[in-house]
Amino acid sequence: MTLERFHLDGKVAIVTGAGRGLGRQMSLALAHAGADIVCAARSLDQIERTAADIRALGRRAVAHTTDVRDSAACDALIRRAVDEFGRLDVMLSNAGIGDMRSAGREIWDIEDDAWRDTLEVNLSSAFYCARAASKVMVEQGHGGAIINVASGTATRAYTLDIGYGSAKAGVIAMTKTLSAMLVRHNIRVNAIIPGYVQQAPADNERSAIFAQTRGKYLPVQRLGEAWELGPLAIYLASDASSYVTGQGFAIDGAGLAGGLAPTSFAPNVPLP
Amino acid sequence: MKTEWGDHPSGADAFDLTGKRALVVGADRPAGRAIALAFAEAGASVAVSSTTNDGEDMFRAKKVRDEIAATFAASGRHSIAVGTDVTLGAGVQVMVRQVAKDLGGIDVLVNAPDLFLGKPAADTTDIEFNRIMQVNLAGTFHACRAVGKEMLKQDTGGRIINVASVLGERGLSNAAAYCAAQAGVLNLTRALAQEWGPHNITVNAIAQGWMEYTPAIGDPNPEANQTVRFVPMKRAGKAEEVAPLALYLASDATGYISGQVLFVDGGLTTHL
Repeated sequence: MTLERFHLDGKVAIVTGAGRGLGRQMSLALAHAGADIVCAARSLDQIERTAADIRALGRRAVAHTTDVRDSAACDALIRRAVDEFGRLDVMLSNAGIGDMRSAGREIWDIEDDAWRDTLEVNLSSAFYCARAASKVMVEQGHGGAIINVASGTATRAYTLDIGYGSAKAGVIAMTKTLSAMLVRHNIRVNAIIPGYVQQAPADNERSAIFAQTRGKYLPVQRLGEAWELGPLAIYLASDASSYVTGQGFAIDGAGLAGGLAPTSFAPNVPLP
Repeated sequence: MKTEWGDHPSGADAFDLTGKRALVVGADRPAGRAIALAFAEAGASVAVSSTTNDGEDMFRAKKVRDEIAATFAASGRHSIAVGTDVTLGAGVQVMVRQVAKDLGGIDVLVNAPDLFLGKPAADTTDIEFNRIMQVNLAGTFHACRAVGKEMLKQDTGGRIINVASVLGERGLSNAAAYCAAQAGVLNLTRALAQEWGPHNITVNAIAQGWMEYTPAIGDPNPEANQTVRFVPMKRAGKAEEVAPLALYLASDATGYISGQVLFVDGGLTTHL
C-alpha cells in the first residue's frame, strides 16, 4: 500500500534540463517509476540520449529542444506534452546554470546582461513553465505536481555568483507562494534544494580531486551524486507526498544543517 | 537501474527495505504505527516499542506488532514488541541492546513518541513541563544515543528518523512546553547529523502539521474546526501520508539527505 504511493504509472512528466546531470537522472528515475517523459533542453543530442534510455525502460519519451528563457517556448513545451501524451501531471523545472561572466567578480564588474540572463534562466524559466503547466493541470481537473530545483546557495551567502543565489532564492519564494495559489486545484508545488552534487561521475584526476577535497568539508564526507536526486523527485512527484506542498527539500549531505558557512564547512570539533 | 553512475536503486524499487532491521519507538502512536507497518510491507524486520510503560501504550504497541506479524506470514522475518519508557535512558539502553541482539543489528531507528499538553504557560506546572520535555525530547535523545552506539559499533551506517511537529518550528499559544520540546527535537536532529555524518548515519526529522490524530485539533471537519480551516489543503493529514516519507528516508537512496526537517503539513508552514 505504501509502496504503491510511489508509482507514477500512466502519468506524464516534463523535465527541463533533461540532457545531463541532475535533470537526466531525475528523468530516468521518474520513468523508472512509471511516467512518460518529455525531455527538454537546448542541445538535442543530449536529450535524445535521455529519451532513448527512457524508451529502453519501456516508457514513452520525446526529446524537445527549447530555450526556457523564452516564455513562448515554454508554452510550446507544455503544449507538446499534451499533444504527444494527452495529459500533464508533473512539471519538473530543473534547467538552470551559473553564469561564468559573473563568477568571482566584484559586484560593480557584473554587467546587466549577465545579471538578467542568470535570473531569466534560473528564475523566470521556472515561472514560465509553472504558469503554462498549471493552466493545463487546472483545465484537466485532476491536479498535479510542480517541482522546482533551487540550490543551497539560495539560503546562505554565495559570493561566487550573486545572481545565481538570488535567482534560486526567488525559486524558493515562488514555490511557497505558488503552492498557496494552486492548492485549491489540487496542484502541489515543492522545491528540491541541492547542495554540492556532482553532475557526472568524475572522469579525470582534477574532478576526482575536487570531489574528494570538497566532499571532506561536508558532514557526510562526500559530494552528492546526480542519481541521488532521482528517488527524491519520485517522492515529490507521486502520491507518496500527498500532504506535502510549499516545501523545500534540501539534499546536501547535512551541510545546511551545520550552516556555519555556505553549504557548510562545519568543522567536527576535536575533543581535548 | 544502470546509468553512468552504475547500478543504483531507482523507481519504486528504490524504497525497498528488504534485509533492513528497523526499530520504531513510539509505535503505539498513530504515526509510529503507520511507519512500522510501511517498513514491514517494504521488507524490513521490525521491532516496535511503546512510548511509556503505561498499560495503554504497551497494549497498543503489542497490537501493532500483531498487525506486522500478520503481514509477514512465514517470510522468515522478525517482528518484536517491547515495552519501554522513553523517559528512562538506562531502560531504553537495555531495550535497544535486546532488540539489536534479537534482530542481529539495527539499521533504521524511528522515534515517534508524542505527548501533547494544551495549557496556558502561566498555569503549567514544573511536573507538566518536565514530563513534556522528557517524553518528546529526552525520549528521542535516549533512543538516538542508544541506537547510535549500536550503529557506530556495527560501522555499516544507518538511518535515524525523528517524527516531530510543526510546533518545533512555529509557536502556538497554550502549547509552550510542547513547542519547546519539539524545537529541541529538530535541533537535536541537526546536531546529530553533523556528528554522525562521517559514519554514514543520516539523521532527519519529519515535522507533522495538523493530523487527524493531533490531540489539539478536535473535530477534523473543516467547517467545524478552527484549526483545519487555516491549513491550505483544508484538511488534516493522515498517518498514511507520513509513512511514505519515513520509508524514503529509511531507504538506501537517501544517503545524501541529512540534518533536514521535512514538513508534512498540507502547506501549513508556508502561510504568512
